[in-house]
Order: sequence, then C-alpha cells, then structure tokens
Amino acid sequence: MALVSALTEAAFVGRRQRDWDRLDALARVVQSRGLRRLPADELAQLSPLYRDVCADLSRAEAARYSAPLIDYLQGLTAAAHTVVYGHARGRFNVPGQGSALRVALEAFPRAVRRHRLAMLIAFLLFFLPFFGGLFATLADPSFALRIVPESQLRPLVDAYKEGFSAGRGAGTDALMAGFYVNNNVGIALRCFATGLMFGVGSAFYLVENGLATGAIMGYVGAKGAGANILTFVVGHGSLELGAIVLAGGAGLALGWSLVAPGDRTRLASLQAAARSVVVIVFGAAVMLFMAAGVEGFWSSSSLPDVVKRSVGAVMFALVMAYLTFAGRGSDQAEALERALEDESWT
Amino acid sequence: MPPAAPLDTDVAIETPEHIVFRHRVAGPARRLLAYLLDLVICYAVFSAIAMLVMVAAVGTGGFSEAAEGAAASGIGLLLVVLFAIQWMYFAVLEAWQGRTPGKRALGLRVVTATGRPIGFRAAALRNVMRAADALPLTYSGGLLSLAGLVSMATTTKFQRLGDLVAGTVVIMPERAGHTTPLVLFPAAQPYELAQLPDDVRLDADERQAIEMFLRRGPRLGRARQLELAAMIAPALAARFGLRNEDPARTLALLYDCAARAGRTDAPASSKVPGSWR
Repeated sequence: MALVSALTEAAFVGRRQRDWDRLDALARVVQSRGLRRLPADELAQLSPLYRDVCADLSRAEAARYSAPLIDYLQGLTAAAHTVVYGHARGRFNVPGQGSALRVALEAFPRAVRRHRLAMLIAFLLFFLPFFGGLFATLADPSFALRIVPESQLRPLVDAYKEGFSAGRGAGTDALMAGFYVNNNVGIALRCFATGLMFGVGSAFYLVENGLATGAIMGYVGAKGAGANILTFVVGHGSLELGAIVLAGGAGLALGWSLVAPGDRTRLASLQAAARSVVVIVFGAAVMLFMAAGVEGFWSSSSLPDVVKRSVGAVMFALVMAYLTFAGRGSDQAEALERALEDESWT
Repeated sequence: MPPAAPLDTDVAIETPEHIVFRHRVAGPARRLLAYLLDLVICYAVFSAIAMLVMVAAVGTGGFSEAAEGAAASGIGLLLVVLFAIQWMYFAVLEAWQGRTPGKRALGLRVVTATGRPIGFRAAALRNVMRAADALPLTYSGGLLSLAGLVSMATTTKFQRLGDLVAGTVVIMPERAGHTTPLVLFPAAQPYELAQLPDDVRLDADERQAIEMFLRRGPRLGRARQLELAAMIAPALAARFGLRNEDPARTLALLYDCAARAGRTDAPASSKVPGSWR
C-alpha cells in the first residue's frame, strides 16, 4: 500500500483536536458518573462525536499518520466505544410483560422447564443415593459411619433426641443461618461450576451430598430421633434440597453442552448453555438464602410439630407449583429467551 | 491465504462502524497481583467487622446470656461476610464498574469478547466459575488455580475457564496521550532545500520506519544512529537526488518534507456545515 497523505498531519490534528478533546471529556464523565447523569444536550453530542472519531481513525490509518497519533485515536475510540455501546441493561425486560422483577421471577421456572431432562437426571443423582443411604443405614446403622465420621454424627443424634421444645437463643439461630448461607450456597455454586468438567463435578457433588444426607437422616432415625429430624428438615427441605438439585442440573446441562455441541463449536455451545442456565443458578442461590433463613429461625423454633409439618407440606406444594406453573403461557417471552441463547452477549 | 495474525497479546475489536482497534490483553501475573490486592481489601474489611463484633460482644457485659447471643449472631454475620467475599464481591463490582478495586489499581478491565462492558449475568458467571478454575483443588482462593492457568496458557486471549464460559476478556485499556509532532532541528537550510525536489513522496512504510528512527534517535549513541540511518538513507538519497553527507540528517530532512507535503485544509466536524472534501 503506497498511500501518501493527502493532508498534512499537523493540519489534520489542528482542525480535529477540539472535537477529540470534547469526546475525551464526555467519555471520562460517563465513565466516572454514568450515562444517566449526562445532560440531554451532551448526550446528543456523544454519538456524532464518536462516529467522527471513528472516521478520523480510519483516515489517520489510511494516510499512515504518525504512530503516536494513531495510538491516541485508538485509545479515544476504544474509550468512547465502551461508553457508546454500553451493556444493554434489563435484558429480562420484555415489552408488555410487566416489571423486570416479575419477568425475572418467571424466567427462572421457564429455564428450569427448558432443561427438564437435566433436572430429572440431577434429581435422580441426588435422591437415589439419598434413599440408598437412608435405607442402608436404617438396616445397618454402621453404614453411616463409613460415609460421615462418627464425631459428626454423635452430636447430631444428641441434638435431635433433645427435640426443640426448649427453643434456641436468637443468637444461635443467627449463627446457624450464617453458617447455612456460607456452606450451602457455596456447595450449590461449586456443584454448578464443576459441571464444566463434562458434568462430572456436578454429578459427584449431587451423589456425595445425597448419600451423606440420607446416611445422616438414617443414622439419627435408627437412634430413635427420626420424627424429630423429619420435623426439622421438612420446613426448609423443599427449598434447600430443591435448590441443590437445580444447581446440579444446571451444571449437568453445562457439561452436556460440551459433550454434544450439535452444529455449534464446543465453545459456542458452552456459552449458549451458560447463558441459558445462569438464571437457574441465580434462582437456586436465592432459594438457598431463603432456606437458610427458614432453617436458622423457623425449623429450630419451639413451635408445635403439627404446625411445622403442615407449613413444610405447604412449602413443598408452593415450590413445586412455582417451578411447574409460573411463567407459563407467555410465548413471547419464551421465544425471546430462546433467541437470546443463540445471540452472544455483546 | 489471508495474512496470519501477528503473534501478539492483544485482541482486535471491530466496532459496528467497521473500525478495528486493539486492546492489550492482561496476563496471569498482573491479574494475580490484582487478585491479591482485592483479597487484602476484602480481609481488611472482614477483620474490621470481626473486631467490631468482638468489641460489641465484650461490651454487652461479661459472660451473660445476652453477650453469648450477641457473639453468636456476630459470628453468623461474619460467615455471611465470608460468603460475600468469596462469591459476591467480584461479581457485583465487575457488573457495576467493570472492574474491582484491585483491577482498577493495576489498570485492568473486564469486557466482553466484542469489547463491550459486561453485564451482571456475565460477571456472575465468570466469577462463579472460579470454583472450576481452582480445580483440581476444591478451593484455592484463586492463588493456585491450575485449571485456570492451563486455560490461560492455551487460549490466545489469556482467558481462564470463567472467561471462556462468560465470553469475557481482561484487558489493559491504554489511553495514549498526545505526543508532540517531530520538529526538524536545526531547521532546513536553504542549500538543503535547494537539493530537494518539490514533491517528496515517501510510501507509508518508509515514513513509519523513519519516524520510529527519529523518535528513538535521541536515546541512541551517535555511532549507532549513523549505522541505522545508513541502512536506508543511501537508497532514498539516490531516489531524490540528495548528497548523502549525514545519513541521519538526510532521513530527518526527507521526513520533514514528506510530513509537510499535502493539503492544509482539514476535515470539518460533521456537525459543522461544509465538511471534508
């Protein structure tokens, strides 16, 4: 390319410098204070200034102006590009579908149903070992000792034998709620993330947690506190175990996208699956936060068993109904979500 | 065959205006430093809250039941803070600002592969995936992320697994300031100008090579300057009919003439009537 500048560089810079400085100032204001704070007249300048600088960069490159000038224009274009093509906020917002919160609440169960096969497999991977562990321990309590150390099992048995009629200090309740947040949400997120290894990590966490939970419940039951642990678990169980299954299922869907990418590249398939399931992971995390509250403050309270068990049954019905029915009948939103899977995040 | 992309650690981003600009991609060392800085910030906050909890527990009076309760709730709070450090700090700050304080300090920013700011879902995804990056350990605090390092080493854009899943890149946005244009010193003498033709045309590569030489010149020894200049000065001097007494001066003269050649009217702002050409 033997191009010779049609215009001296000095003249070019001299004429355009004012616009560049203006755009530079605007970009800095937006980056530090946000686009919303920009007055309307300045906002209106932003886009033409940006397009001018794009053209200037092209000209400068074509005319092979000096490298520092091109570097400067590149930096300015990049900074302005970040500002002009900001992230489209509120992608859940669908025209005519109501508030972002409602749409998000409906997008979660829709995503769960979209991946129902993965969810079913996650369910089986958790509950088959769960019931296996439960019945094996009920038949022979020493089975639990092979899975969970005795030093952890013994205090549990003592605690559940005592029951909850005495209640518990509010301080201890808060401590336990904090523990459940840190521990359970962490497990769920790790269970999802390790699904990246072709789903193996998720499957491992599901089986491990199912087996351990079943063995603990079986062991406590075999020691004669079965009714108490059931009453304790029933309040938050549908939220907590449900969320672990959902997070694991999301991880399995992620792993499967690598195993069977269809007509996409593996990377594109992985990213599409991640975009599709991320709302499930959010939902599961929120469910676990709620479960931590229930487990810390409600399940351990001194309320009568009948109340706890009835509330537990209602919770179960609510969770199932929410996941099954919420967000049905919105074909427009459903179609949009499917379309968004194919479109890379830009 | 299309020309192969140069082996370099940068990522080309094409805007909808079909302008391509490049960002330098941040490597593992710089990112680890940013991460360490973030950890220091997080655990400083954590320690401050822990101190407050201790003071509050002791302050409510010895070993009473109320004090025990307060201490227990305090520990519950600390556990929630620990969760927030591990799983929320990075996601929230990157979604909100595009970078954490540690990344800001080291001049890093997270953007999508197309160079745009990331949204909340991408920020959450790339940070939840830290658990996968830490493999084969279950939790490494990000310090020994073997899977992540392997992923960074094998992708051209230094992407860890979380970056691959979320389609993000960590870049070092650079804002080059203006540099002063090159000025010929001492100014061209009449006898020098007399040798030169009216129209000095250098092709783009020649111009760029000479410019780089002139900008580096003051930092080179005189002998090295002459040695470098002598590589192209004779050929150019022959083309334009110059006496090549001092190769470095010859290059400076030619560059000056070429840079001053051309029209001096300039493109106008598109908002002003009567624009370019």
